Amino acid sequence: MFAWIPLFPLLGALANGLLGIKYFSRKAVQAVGVGSVALSFLASAASFVALLRGSEEVLVARLFSWMTPSLVPLAGGGKASFAVDLAFRYDSLAAVMTLVVTGVGLLIHVYSVGYMAYDRSLARFFAYLNLFTFAMLVLVLGANLAVLFVGWEGVGLCSYLLIGFWFSKDSAAAAGKKAFLTNRVGDFGFILGIGVLLFVLGTIDLGSINRLAEEGALTKGAATAAALLLFLGATGKSAQIPLYTWLPDAMEGPTPVSALIHAATMVTAGVYMVARLHVLFTFSGVALDVIALVGAGTAVYAATMALVQFDIKRVLAYSTISQIGYMFLGLGSGAYAAGVFHLMTHAFFKGLLFLAAGSVIHALSGEQDMRKMGGLRSRVPTTYRVFLVGALAIAGVPGLSGFFSKDEILASAFASGRTVAWALGVLGAGMTAFYIFRLIFLTFFGAERMDEAARRHCHESPPVMTVPLRILAFLSAFGGFVGLPRLLGGGAWFATFLESSTGRHAGHLAAGTEALLMALSVGIGLAGIYGAYVVYVRKKGAPAFRLKERFGALHRLVFRKYFVDEFYDGVIVGGVLRLGRLASAFDLKVIDSLVDGAAALTRRLSKVSIVFDGRVVDGAVNGVGAVHRFVSRLLRQVQTGYVYNYALAVVFGLVIIISLVVTVF
Amino acid sequence: MTFAIFLLFALMAVFSAVMVITRKNAMHSVLYLAFTVLSVAGVFFTLQAEYLGAIQILVYGGGIVVLYIFVIIIVNLDEVVPGRRKLMPKVFIFAWPALLALQVGFLFLLNRPVPREGPEGGLEFRAMAEMLFTSYALPFEIASVLLLAVLIGAVLVAKRRLSRGSD
Amino acid sequence: MVPINAVFALGIALFFLGLFGVLLRKNLVVMLMSLELVLNGINVILAGLGFHLRSPRGSIFAIFVVLMAVAEAAVGFALILSYFRRKKTYDIDKLNELKG
Repeated sequence: MFAWIPLFPLLGALANGLLGIKYFSRKAVQAVGVGSVALSFLASAASFVALLRGSEEVLVARLFSWMTPSLVPLAGGGKASFAVDLAFRYDSLAAVMTLVVTGVGLLIHVYSVGYMAYDRSLARFFAYLNLFTFAMLVLVLGANLAVLFVGWEGVGLCSYLLIGFWFSKDSAAAAGKKAFLTNRVGDFGFILGIGVLLFVLGTIDLGSINRLAEEGALTKGAATAAALLLFLGATGKSAQIPLYTWLPDAMEGPTPVSALIHAATMVTAGVYMVARLHVLFTFSGVALDVIALVGAGTAVYAATMALVQFDIKRVLAYSTISQIGYMFLGLGSGAYAAGVFHLMTHAFFKGLLFLAAGSVIHALSGEQDMRKMGGLRSRVPTTYRVFLVGALAIAGVPGLSGFFSKDEILASAFASGRTVAWALGVLGAGMTAFYIFRLIFLTFFGAERMDEAARRHCHESPPVMTVPLRILAFLSAFGGFVGLPRLLGGGAWFATFLESSTGRHAGHLAAGTEALLMALSVGIGLAGIYGAYVVYVRKKGAPAFRLKERFGALHRLVFRKYFVDEFYDGVIVGGVLRLGRLASAFDLKVIDSLVDGAAALTRRLSKVSIVFDGRVVDGAVNGVGAVHRFVSRLLRQVQTGYVYNYALAVVFGLVIIISLVVTVF
Repeated sequence: MTFAIFLLFALMAVFSAVMVITRKNAMHSVLYLAFTVLSVAGVFFTLQAEYLGAIQILVYGGGIVVLYIFVIIIVNLDEVVPGRRKLMPKVFIFAWPALLALQVGFLFLLNRPVPREGPEGGLEFRAMAEMLFTSYALPFEIASVLLLAVLIGAVLVAKRRLSRGSD
Repeated sequence: MVPINAVFALGIALFFLGLFGVLLRKNLVVMLMSLELVLNGINVILAGLGFHLRSPRGSIFAIFVVLMAVAEAAVGFALILSYFRRKKTYDIDKLNELKG
């Protein structure tokens, strides 16, 4: 049943990609693109209901055998029978992921109908988008790491194709290349991690890995090595330190792509992968500490950059990096369900924020610089309202989805004793509230700063774009209630539902402590919002300028993204270039002078040899030619051109081969 | 009893195979080929490879042989092609295949496979189909691609000309 | 019960009759037919081994061989047709452009 889920987007991608570009009308392309994901969403919903009704916790569908069983040597000296099936695995985690991917994906597909209405390559766009949905579904449904890896690479490819969708723009093409290459570094680690697991356990089946890790078939060192290598892959795909630099550049793609791939789904693949192999990571321990620290560090680090950016999509991009950091902080604290919960709510509100930002950009005829916005509240009222809901959700205002998930992560981090990570997380929460409301106040409040032409064309988006926005706003507002904590009278149903696939979370806090933490994070969130209000509304941004002037160097550091891009360019790219230049200099100086010297010597020698050449060599050459002609006249007889002669040669060859085989072996 | 039937079919197959390669008229050869093919199908039945026998009758008897007949009708009926070659090193033409036959027969006699224990009841289709669609799923798919390639290739080769301008 | 040696004998006989057909005949169509005999001989051996070893693999491989035979026949016919269109004959010895 659930094996049908990825089929529809694949068919849609094939139809649009192979036929649509030439033969379909725009309406047909849109219908195929949206319809396939809608069918996939219905299949996911039906599978979800079936999973709730049924008694089985894990369903596996084996489509066919990919690699037939063969013996592989293991690290311990033994041998294991290794086989890979093309198989899908459906459990509570996969159910959540498929619902998010197809549900949010469907809304974004619908939105794209409006957003891309006038683009020339509509069929290509929908083909890529459907292909991405397919790959993402393969990733979350794969029953072993090989299938998961296929999806993993598939989403990477689609991400590359979609970032560079407007490939005639140089920056878009470069951004696509950057994303692909950066991901390649991570994927290298990922595939090494798979290799370690294969070498140690002899299996790459997800269920078996978790079971074997639970039974203690792993040494601590091997588990840590595998977990850290896999996490390296996750840092690439999920844009964490140190491999995050591609994500802000990825905003060159169309906005629905940023929403779907670079906010809601693909970048959370790393989170999904860690939650999927949680037993391995828990067993390692060290890996969890690394994940928690990287997550918390990224959360704050990316938030600081979001504070000073002026491109509306880049602010959201850094915000995405920061929020994924929170997810990793949750995973690293052992609260896998909390991480996945934040993944889901983040998919709702960040998808919403991106789409609403797209609506703003759409309204202003492509303007992305917030310095040229302002006062849009009355011009695009629907967009403003849904944007506000999303902002409140991400800022952690009580009652909205982001509050529940972020709070659960912070509480888990505190409960697991990671105080530093927790403090970083709280700091990041305040910054989150500040930068998102800075964005709102700059965009929707204050004076209108856009160009005259943009002002005249300024309009609210069509319903095909605002309806998905409204649905996402509803989900952002109320989606958190599925994980209502026990403290607030809920049952933490989400975590309970996920228990079958991510295990029970051990750490629990006293009710008083939990309430205190909750109050603290609410307070710091509200403080952030108030701060943004004071700076950007009441004082019209003046304090920001003063700060910028006083701490010019610091601002420059943050605004230029800590010069990490320059650092990577200088050290890694530049290093390779310098090496190349060194080689080139060596080539020019040493080798060339050698060659030149040799040439001079040769010239002198050749003068001598001309004489010799005329007499002796020419005679020899002519002689060789004559011999060849003679021999070839003889040998030509072999090539009769008759088929049976060649057939006879084959038989003769067979006789020789069989003789060899019999005598030698 | 089975062996007697096997021998009957085998003799028929060998006899008609000899006829296939010795008849002057290609049409006669085709008819003998049909006879060989059906005899080999009988052999398959005595070897309890019923599915293979059915395939043999359907694909070979019904498809390939009929195609041969068509081709002979299309290409030419009248032209008499000399049956034997004139210029050939006869010694080699017989010696090398004979050597090969000797080798192969010898090899089979040397490495006789040990019969597996099992019921005499024949091979179930189910086991075969399951294996074909699990362990051999990939070769199966590749085979389908091969057939597609053949389809396109055959059309391209047999087409009169690629385009108007190329003549 | 069919002895395996008898199966081998039949397979080898068909194989070599086919081989001689390819080597001795000049008619392109008959040469193709002889190739079918070769493949049939192989199939007999595969089926016999499958029967002998109680394994469905014999039949499976034989099916792939039949598939190959079909492909080969299709391409062969196409070649014969285009060849005939050029040379107005199907005497194989006229097909000697490769002669050195």
